[in-house]
Amino acid sequence: MTSPGQPRPATAGTQPVQPEPNGRIVVDHLTKVFGSQRAVDDLSFTVEPGSVTGFLGPNGAGKTTTLRMLLGLVTPTSGIATINGRHYAELPAPLQTVGAALEASSFHPAHTGLQHLRIYAAAAGLPAQRAEEVLGLVGLAGDAKKKTKGYSMGMRQRLGLAATLLGDPRVLILDEPANGLDPEGIRWLRGFFRHLASEGRTVLVSSHQLSEVQEVADRAVILNRGRLVRAGTLAELSAGTTTAVVRGPDLRQLQPALVQAGLAGSTEADGTMRVRTDDLRLLGHLAFVNGVELHELRLEEFDLEQLFFTLTEGAYQGASFDHGPPPQMPPPQQGPSTRAEGH
Amino acid sequence: MLNLIKSEVLKIRSTQVWFWMLVLVIAITVAATLGSVLTIDSSTPASQVNYFSVWTNFGVAGVALLVLGLLGLTTEFRHKTITPTLLATPGRWRLLIGKALAYVAFAIPYGLVCLLVNLITALICLNAKGLPVHFTDGAPAGMVRNFVALILLAFFGLGLGALIRNQAAGMVVGILYLSVLNLFFAGIPGLRKVYLFEPAGAFNAFTSRDRDNYGLPHDVVHISPGVGGLILLAWCLVLLVAGGYLSLNRDIS
Repeated sequence: MTSPGQPRPATAGTQPVQPEPNGRIVVDHLTKVFGSQRAVDDLSFTVEPGSVTGFLGPNGAGKTTTLRMLLGLVTPTSGIATINGRHYAELPAPLQTVGAALEASSFHPAHTGLQHLRIYAAAAGLPAQRAEEVLGLVGLAGDAKKKTKGYSMGMRQRLGLAATLLGDPRVLILDEPANGLDPEGIRWLRGFFRHLASEGRTVLVSSHQLSEVQEVADRAVILNRGRLVRAGTLAELSAGTTTAVVRGPDLRQLQPALVQAGLAGSTEADGTMRVRTDDLRLLGHLAFVNGVELHELRLEEFDLEQLFFTLTEGAYQGASFDHGPPPQMPPPQQGPSTRAEGH
Repeated sequence: MLNLIKSEVLKIRSTQVWFWMLVLVIAITVAATLGSVLTIDSSTPASQVNYFSVWTNFGVAGVALLVLGLLGLTTEFRHKTITPTLLATPGRWRLLIGKALAYVAFAIPYGLVCLLVNLITALICLNAKGLPVHFTDGAPAGMVRNFVALILLAFFGLGLGALIRNQAAGMVVGILYLSVLNLFFAGIPGLRKVYLFEPAGAFNAFTSRDRDNYGLPHDVVHISPGVGGLILLAWCLVLLVAGGYLSLNRDIS
């Protein structure tokens, strides 16, 4: 195993590193094992140049470990991760190529925001005034000379984002940039994402703020328990996920009919059903012939958050029903994600 | 590499630790110089004045540089700034070499200030006592060796910090070594035979007037100042390489 920060050879079964278009991120059969735990398990995906990609998964899914392997901070057990066809450690001007914000607390408390940025600007051979420019971009110009120990979480997040912009890189890797932000900060972050997207930068952002990601992302990579669950454009991900919402005073008699008709879905605590189909006529017919009164029958728009929960089973959304036994309340975090892939 | 050194020097300068340590070192240098001159009887012939001691009091700055060196990497791990540091400089050995060179760049003006304070204080005191100002007694070579020792101690601290990583533990180990373990080495018969081969002993040998001026028992294997310097340099390199290998090759998570 090579040391972190050093170029790693391609492992068996992987292709040699080839020159890639500017801004492409390739993760190829990446695996990281900590003791007996496989934090990342044979993960492969590509982030296309100029795209904004949401990197999604519940806590402990392996997102941060993946990003750290991509940035040469953690050594993969096997597999490779490249940016522009090179390992991070091989990039001739790393900060001018990739801007990365991994945690909101990587500051010396006695440094001011300006000092913090000037240190890394100096390391990258950038002029000192670039630090002031990026502080202005993230709205921290007025707090430039304040020590970071006095920064709020939102200010720390902004300072971390400012650091990513120092070298004006085409690739940005952001790990949970919305953590700890208040609603105003979230709104600012949304604008920040839009700004980055409008400039055609390649952005890989892990976030729990799925609605924010959905608004600006072209693509999503969904991870669960270290494994890839789904990756693709939002249009690809939304295909086949159309859900019909069914509400009524008592839908119990409808459920067996749906299962008999080969439909799957879930029943929520308030009795609302979500059925994976876009055929409202069929649902209306089944309700009619079974004598079930309906108060609402409509198609639900694609919701990344809903898809995320469905695929990762990270948070229980409702008692599922399909061709199996009668519906039961499944425990949270139940089972791997394979069932989700089948739908 | 120049950008990296600039960045690392900026890191050292951006906190006030170096400044307050400098103030402390200047105060100790002044006090030690006063002590070494004022205790000389005015009637002492110039040939019997310990000029070596008078001109080399600034060597106390070595402790400050050792501490600053120790903070070089331990602070990065403590405040997690090692992550942005490695994002800017992904090559870990390159980073360690850059840090070491930054301490050279920082130790030179730092040591010069202390040397100047030593010179000025000694000149004033010698004149006040009516003693002649002589740079005899091996003083010039001693001043050069003490100056070089400042840089070596910064390396030593950096290597120790890289090896231990934990700032508090590094400080405790450093202080325990200098105040307790080092004295054990120097005091225990049998063990003290190789006292001058351990880092603090080698530092003492390097900064002494000559090989017979350590005031040590005869069973200690005496070495010349030059050899002491080489042994200290070897210790610094061992610590830097071992620290770099053990600490920097780990995952940063």
